[in-house]
Amino acid sequence: MKRRNFLQHAASSLLLPVLIDGYGAKAFARPSSFIQSLVDLADQSDRVLVIIQLQGGNDGLNMVIPLDQMSIYTDPKFRGNIAIPEAKALRLKNYSQTGLHPAMTGMQQLFNDGKLSIVQGVSYPTPNFSHFRASDIWMTAVDQNQTAGSGWAGRYLDKRFPGYPDSYPTTQMPDPPAIQIGYVTATSLLGPTGSMAIVLQDPDTFARLVGDKPNAPATNLAGYAGQQIEYIRQQQASSVSYAGQIKTAAGKSKNLATYPTANALGDQLKIIARLIAGGMQTKVYYVTMGGFDTHAAQVVGTDTTTGTHANLLRTLSDAVLAFQNDLAQLKIADRVVGMTFSEFGRRAISNGSFGTDHGTSAPMFVFGTAVKSPIVGKNSNLSDLDNNNLKMQTDFRQVYAAILTDWFGTDTTTESTTLFRDFPVSTVFRAPQIVTAVSATAAEAHLYPNPASTVAVLESDWLAQGVQSVQLINMQGRFLSVDTSRPTTTSVQMNVSNLPTGNYMLRVETAQGLLTKRLAVAR
Amino acid sequence: MALLDAYTNPLTADQVAYLLRRATFGPTADQVKTLTGQTAAQIITKLLADQPTPPPPLDLATGKPFHDQPFDTANAGKFNAYLNYWWANLMLNQPVSLLEKMTLFWSNHFVTNFSTVNDYRFMYRYNTLLRQYALGNFKAFTVAVTQDPAMLRFLNGNQNIVGRANENYARELQELFTIGRNGGYTETDVREAARVLTGWTDVSYRSATTTPVSSTFRLNQHDKTDKTFSATYQNTVIKGRSTATAGLDELNDLITMILSNVETPRYICRQLYRWFINSDITPAVETDFIQPLAEIFRKANFEIKPVLTALFQSQHFYDEAIRGGMIKSPTELVIGTFRFWGLQAPDPAQNITAFYQIGNYIFARITEQQQQILNPPTVFGWTAYYQTGYYQQWINSTTLGLRGFFGDALTTNALKLNGKVVIDSIVYAKTLSNPADAGVLVANIVSQLLGVPLDKSQLDFLTDTVLLNSIPRYEWTGEWNDYIQAPNDAAKKQAVQMKLTAFLQYIFRMAEYQVI
Repeated sequence: MKRRNFLQHAASSLLLPVLIDGYGAKAFARPSSFIQSLVDLADQSDRVLVIIQLQGGNDGLNMVIPLDQMSIYTDPKFRGNIAIPEAKALRLKNYSQTGLHPAMTGMQQLFNDGKLSIVQGVSYPTPNFSHFRASDIWMTAVDQNQTAGSGWAGRYLDKRFPGYPDSYPTTQMPDPPAIQIGYVTATSLLGPTGSMAIVLQDPDTFARLVGDKPNAPATNLAGYAGQQIEYIRQQQASSVSYAGQIKTAAGKSKNLATYPTANALGDQLKIIARLIAGGMQTKVYYVTMGGFDTHAAQVVGTDTTTGTHANLLRTLSDAVLAFQNDLAQLKIADRVVGMTFSEFGRRAISNGSFGTDHGTSAPMFVFGTAVKSPIVGKNSNLSDLDNNNLKMQTDFRQVYAAILTDWFGTDTTTESTTLFRDFPVSTVFRAPQIVTAVSATAAEAHLYPNPASTVAVLESDWLAQGVQSVQLINMQGRFLSVDTSRPTTTSVQMNVSNLPTGNYMLRVETAQGLLTKRLAVAR
Repeated sequence: MALLDAYTNPLTADQVAYLLRRATFGPTADQVKTLTGQTAAQIITKLLADQPTPPPPLDLATGKPFHDQPFDTANAGKFNAYLNYWWANLMLNQPVSLLEKMTLFWSNHFVTNFSTVNDYRFMYRYNTLLRQYALGNFKAFTVAVTQDPAMLRFLNGNQNIVGRANENYARELQELFTIGRNGGYTETDVREAARVLTGWTDVSYRSATTTPVSSTFRLNQHDKTDKTFSATYQNTVIKGRSTATAGLDELNDLITMILSNVETPRYICRQLYRWFINSDITPAVETDFIQPLAEIFRKANFEIKPVLTALFQSQHFYDEAIRGGMIKSPTELVIGTFRFWGLQAPDPAQNITAFYQIGNYIFARITEQQQQILNPPTVFGWTAYYQTGYYQQWINSTTLGLRGFFGDALTTNALKLNGKVVIDSIVYAKTLSNPADAGVLVANIVSQLLGVPLDKSQLDFLTDTVLLNSIPRYEWTGEWNDYIQAPNDAAKKQAVQMKLTAFLQYIFRMAEYQVI
């Protein structure tokens, strides 16, 4: 997509709600991430996403530790045999209730520097416990009862680079849309007709390996054989055409930071940093780290801060810190964000083998200089479990939505098509909500009916002096547009018939002050 | 059930080659010639014939077996490598038989891997179990593999004890090994099955003092209460027992219960279908192939041979639309290529160095191409058999490059296995009907090497552009005949050899070479 078109697309989707409501930019008097996004859009096309898949189901509850509920967490009947002692948990700046696994000093540093956002309790409704199915759900971004043959990142890239790979490379896009470092192509990167990614293990030998472009006449075989042959030829052709680009990019730059040794993830991120700094225009990089299926011996019984899980988390944390340092020194940190995901978290209650069985929600990490909310959501409530599992706070597709809209600047339509429907955007890239306004007392404002189904009316004497803005914010912190009218001078009527059911925060700015009320929409 | 009806015509050379590419790691030209004209039923009898139990791997240094000795930490890495090379060579040297292809199938079904188990003696025992039951009875197999020490470690069955159940094996047993994840089992069934399976553990793990490797049942760690299953299993109650044989008795009940669900034989038949025929299970294939095949399986009391017989002699299997629809796995590519060119590993008792050189070379190639035997990446096995895209999972920029690179290496003199180059292109050309005619030569080579037919424009391109680099065809005839008349003239030999080598390298990089 040309940058100009791209800006128009992005701008229209972001500006419309602001202008149509007729309140002007003032409606966003507080530091607005929307406005900031617009400013940032100028070099939007340089933005890169790095996806780190933690294969096997990562134990989120030992990674991000609920310091506010340590008595339950360390209870022998809960997960006493694997619990991280409170004294060992790493502390987080301004967030005293949440700690990190002691092996994650790198992540702690990133968090305290404002470069790490922790999204708590990520899952989806009716989670699946099969590695298989759960990975497919995360990668294809579907509901638990749907299936799709393509991955979310693949669909996004397919929209962005229509006709790939047949009509590529082009002058505007001389590089592959996605690069996976590693082995087998990930489902996340599957576009509607095939992978959007080039897989490579080592850029230096890549060009030598791929050989020449096949130039024999195409097969006349149809059916299954024809499909396989076409696929292989296409893979070969794309590898050859990108081999030179990749070699050049890798040759143009070198890593400036020191990476940890004997760290496979670090080795892979190192290649990525080099390719980005070397000028690759690739949008998505994908790496995988295995071993998280810790049914047994997740910790060493005598010291729960050591063992398999600690080693995995240290590998992850050290690698990401080195990568982030490298990006900073290469002066490309502002162009890159990374995210981690795992097909599921693990059971809140540990098993007898110093391990944990398959569970549900877990935190996701989003890292980079662009993150704004240090923590999205709260520590999972350990006293409110669902069949021994942690309850969900954020749907993983809300995080994808945040990456698509707030990071890649995708318009809502593309975002919805990519994720199959519109998801509220997680506030990873938006400033955390600061509760400073004085809430009006019940006597000063009256909201009815509440819950509402079609219209809701707010009555208050404060309204008579004039309304500066009316905002409706859903529980994910997303601002929604709402049609309003003024039936009387002391009331505002809102049409909520198009809103999804759920809880909202209503914020009405008046000359006398800010009115906030909780509004429920039910049908 | 027309799809499953027997195909009774004598098989053509192309059909024999196709059958052997799918059912084994690939044929030689001679094997194809010998079996052409036989019926599918005749060849399948041969494919299913009993094979001798292979002798165990030997230590390169001492020439003695190591699997029955105490664990040797210092040599563990080496011994594990020998085990891998040994299995690779069994695949390479296998006569016309389904045994090793099925052993590999089961290693992708009842998965364990070395990365987790980490004791070469356990892996040897496990691999031997797979081979022992590969063509045997699935029910007995499932009961045996549940108690297998490598499996007990891989899926934590050894830590599954009363009051502190570890559900890992109980879940995978149902999700992946038997009824399948759409089979309707519930979370309750996972929990109850885990309780049935409490009490087993492995013996002699990484022990420097004890042999042999085995497993045992500890009654005091067993959950002796009744286990109640969901409606998927007719609300079966497996009676809790407290005798010494409680573990095995309850395990037998559990497997009988799971196998009695109609989904279980179907699930296994779908796995076989994806392994041997096609990844696309259409509704017609499901109703007219999978379901009747599952019925054969069930009626045969879960014997595996009747299923394979029906599968490989079905009309559906010989449908032209199926041929070429699978992408070769790394083992099929590497071992199949070696087998075609007649490379065999020598008897290790005679030449153990060459034996392991060949095994090592194969193992390195299949590992870099992402099919490390005895070490599938996860409990699901290799992604090519379950993930969207299926066999296409084997192919990406890097593995495609490595596949081509492998072909390049075989045709140059640089690689010598057991002291010999693998491919002598001139010797090969002389085995063909009319090597002096470039068009005939190319057509012959292509029909032997490729799993799918080429059309005339492709053959012409291969002849005129790839083999001859646009010189007229009669020039080839002249050069070939010159060489035949003066076979010791190095210059004349090189003139034809260079062209043939480059031609074969091109063939090995063709997409058509990657499919069977």
